[in-house]
Amino acid sequence: MDILITFFAETLGMSGVWPLSFAYATCIGSLLGFVTVYAMFAIWMERKVAAHIQQRLGPMEVGGWHGWAQSPADALKLLFKEDIIPDGANKWLFWIAPAVVFCGVFAGFIAIPFAAGVQIVDINLGVFFIIAIASIEVVGVIMAGWASNSKYSLFGAVREAAQVVSYELPSATALLAPILVVGSFKLSDFNAYQAEHGWVLFANPFMWIALLCFFIASLAGCKRAPFDLPEAESELVSGFHTEYSGMRFSFFGLEEYVSMFVVSAITATLFLGGYTLPFNLLDVGNLPAPFHLIGVAVLVVKIFAVIFVQMWLRWTLPRMRVDQVMSLGYKYLLPWGLFAVAGTAIWQVWMEG
Amino acid sequence: MNEQQLHQKLRATGLAGIGELDESACDPFVVVEGDSLVEVCTFLRDDSETRMEMCHNVTATEREGSIEVAYHLCSYEHHHSLTLKVLLPKPEGDLTDWHPSVPSIAGVYTSANWHEREQWDLLGVRFSDHPDHRRILLPEEWIGHPLRKDYVYPSSHGGIPLELDAVPLYERDETTEETPSEPRPAGTPLNQPPSEPSKRPHAGGKAPPAPEKKAPKAKKEGDA
Amino acid sequence: MEALEMYTTDDRTDVYTEELKLNLGPQHPSTHGVLRVELKMDGEIITGSRSDIGYLHRCAEKIGENVTYLQFTPYTDRMDYLASMNNNLAWSLTVEKLLGVEAPERAQWLRMICAELNRIASHLIAFGTYGIDIGANTPFFYAFRERESIMELLERPSGARMLYNYIQPGGVRRDVDENWVDDVLAFCDVFERRWAEYNTLLTNNLIFIKRTANIGIVTKEMVFDNGAGGPVMRGSGIKWDLRRDVPYLKPYDEVEFDVPVGEGTHGTLGDCWDRYWVRMREMMESIRIIRQGCKAMPGGEVMEKGMKKMYKTPLKPAPGEAYVRCENPRGELGFYVVSEGGTSPIRCRARGPSFCNLSMLDSLLPGTMLADAVAIIGSLDIVLGEVDR
Repeated sequence: MDILITFFAETLGMSGVWPLSFAYATCIGSLLGFVTVYAMFAIWMERKVAAHIQQRLGPMEVGGWHGWAQSPADALKLLFKEDIIPDGANKWLFWIAPAVVFCGVFAGFIAIPFAAGVQIVDINLGVFFIIAIASIEVVGVIMAGWASNSKYSLFGAVREAAQVVSYELPSATALLAPILVVGSFKLSDFNAYQAEHGWVLFANPFMWIALLCFFIASLAGCKRAPFDLPEAESELVSGFHTEYSGMRFSFFGLEEYVSMFVVSAITATLFLGGYTLPFNLLDVGNLPAPFHLIGVAVLVVKIFAVIFVQMWLRWTLPRMRVDQVMSLGYKYLLPWGLFAVAGTAIWQVWMEG
Repeated sequence: MNEQQLHQKLRATGLAGIGELDESACDPFVVVEGDSLVEVCTFLRDDSETRMEMCHNVTATEREGSIEVAYHLCSYEHHHSLTLKVLLPKPEGDLTDWHPSVPSIAGVYTSANWHEREQWDLLGVRFSDHPDHRRILLPEEWIGHPLRKDYVYPSSHGGIPLELDAVPLYERDETTEETPSEPRPAGTPLNQPPSEPSKRPHAGGKAPPAPEKKAPKAKKEGDA
Repeated sequence: MEALEMYTTDDRTDVYTEELKLNLGPQHPSTHGVLRVELKMDGEIITGSRSDIGYLHRCAEKIGENVTYLQFTPYTDRMDYLASMNNNLAWSLTVEKLLGVEAPERAQWLRMICAELNRIASHLIAFGTYGIDIGANTPFFYAFRERESIMELLERPSGARMLYNYIQPGGVRRDVDENWVDDVLAFCDVFERRWAEYNTLLTNNLIFIKRTANIGIVTKEMVFDNGAGGPVMRGSGIKWDLRRDVPYLKPYDEVEFDVPVGEGTHGTLGDCWDRYWVRMREMMESIRIIRQGCKAMPGGEVMEKGMKKMYKTPLKPAPGEAYVRCENPRGELGFYVVSEGGTSPIRCRARGPSFCNLSMLDSLLPGTMLADAVAIIGSLDIVLGEVDR
């Protein structure tokens, strides 16, 4: 970020607010590009993972090698589809819902450190900022469900509201444990700490509980199976996005994969070392430019490992009923998260004086 | 217990309306009067030696002179079964509005509920005291009871005319354009009886008439 | 049809809510066909339900009065299209009872093997689609892998993959080729290994158990009262199987097999999990029967000699009526045929097991949640072709 500001200010000779604005615009533009490409890749990966779990092959035709061009082809197709808006739908809400949903989760990218210094804003409360801003998507989903003028969509929206909002609690609670270990909310501090002390996951045994709690809670927050009842295909046809078609529908799909990326990024950064290599084989944080960009690759590999586990779970496990989801969140994950936090606190005081 | 013993047991109860055991058919059945049907079924269900826990099937059949309603009762404790029949003789004349009535055994066996609804739907047999007496397979507005032998096939459905004696497409004259049919007004039934009887033969159980010996045509339809 | 009445709560002391009227179907991913269930819902909880069938009514019984006995066999295929062999078998036995003939021995053993193979195929679909209803998309693909083998095996004698029209009054249509029995036995070996895979995926999965145990409890009284049969009956603890208790085919007397019943393992007796588990174990019992059948099958003719002559002209049974019950994968299929000496029956009624199983739905649904409704419909394993005919 600083590099970009210096580039615009000094090399291009801009002054005032322009360097900052252009820097932001460049970052967000490139992130949008990255997100689009990532989403296409993630959809292809999901189809391949699903296929291999289900003893079949998945996309093989489009593009030659294992159907890599299937996703761009599908995106092109969706662009050309007829934009159907149901008759009694509230047009303005119907139109804006996918935008709200996408912007909510996309905004979480602001705080993620991809490599040393490669971060749009190093927010003081980085972790909680991401969790909080990702919950704007709830508003978007409820808008989508209500504006569709369909009882099935309403069901999906109401379930989603209950589920996602409830799982913010165990999610945030479980995240307190690594924050206690590192002592800061800033995501860049996490990377610095883990470069020195090794992964937070191995800091104390309670970290495993915290990771498990956060992982399950984040699955529920992303509406992924086994918590995909807002879009439960076998009951609600398609839940809150039943009435959407074409590009609007693909926005919801995009939102799902982007939120998977964001929560995987938090998992990787907080528990699994961020952009640093294990045992700090190569001090990625302090490499000269442009080699510090290796951190991006390291982080992306870790993120995709977590995403793979998420996809694996989706195609293996059945779906839970809404009251079971609620009881899991409040009666099991929240107490275990609190236990992990309490244990970590005691461990920190006891072990490290 | 076989059918004869079951019949003896029924006779021994002293209930009125229990007829003979007809063994001429392949499966023997007991003819029962409609009025005592409910009592007979209740007895067969509750008596410890018969214990017909399930009413397996309720079927109405239209015969030459009557409509028969057959009840197949089965016992799972004793591995036997019995068929009861209620005969409803047909009156003279037009049978279109004739809906004979039989007491419903839906109170004795809940499974008979849907079976009886189906027989009302398809054959027009009324079941008195039925808790939910309406059609089950066909839409509510349907006219007629299709399994009756005198059922007249509809000439249109939902406003679209059905041409049962239609000329095949490849033989039609393409030049005549038909006006598109208008949507049917609300409340009119789906199937309208035709204004004149169809020329199509109703087979109704009899062998189709032997094809007439025609002079060999230029086109032969496959091998003889 | 009168609409279900909607009413609003006027009690303003509590939060003001309305009852929602929701249509499950007729187009719905989980109603196993074109079934419409009108639901009255209070939030997620169903307070009233009314099923509406007839969307797949194809007038089979009326057609039966206009075609000959042999011509009606394909129509029986299409009633319960997932268990065509069993439907054909029930129809053939009824017509044979009317005619007073019996199929030759080899035909009877072939009938038994084909019926059991079709039972496995049908239960595989029940298992796979039940997984999809509950949310697990993977078991379906595994089930269809085995079903593909069965369809290929059954295609060899009959010529069709799904609607076989193979078992006919008098015997079976064609004999099997020389390698068929060996291939069937090879399939049995493969299937036993795969069955263990299905169990690890779904049967003991905690989420699956939580979704199906204590849901849709069918008591013994409900079973007899509503005319349910098959796995629904056995899932409620009643140890009854027509193949063993009222044997309609001689070979069933000569093979050994168990009749699995539900035991309330994970919840109450008669819940969805029990019915599911009965179906799973029935698949293994069918494998046992097939193995014994393949070994004991005698040689000989597959079609009654007199019938071959009779097929040149349409069959004309003597006047009479017959009612035969057979054990379908879904329950007890009954065919009631009334003949007056003509070439077509004057009444040809099929008592479908799904028809009676489905009639229980309106009493099972109220009080459950929407997700449970899907689980209950899936566990009853209905096929709308049989419900509506």
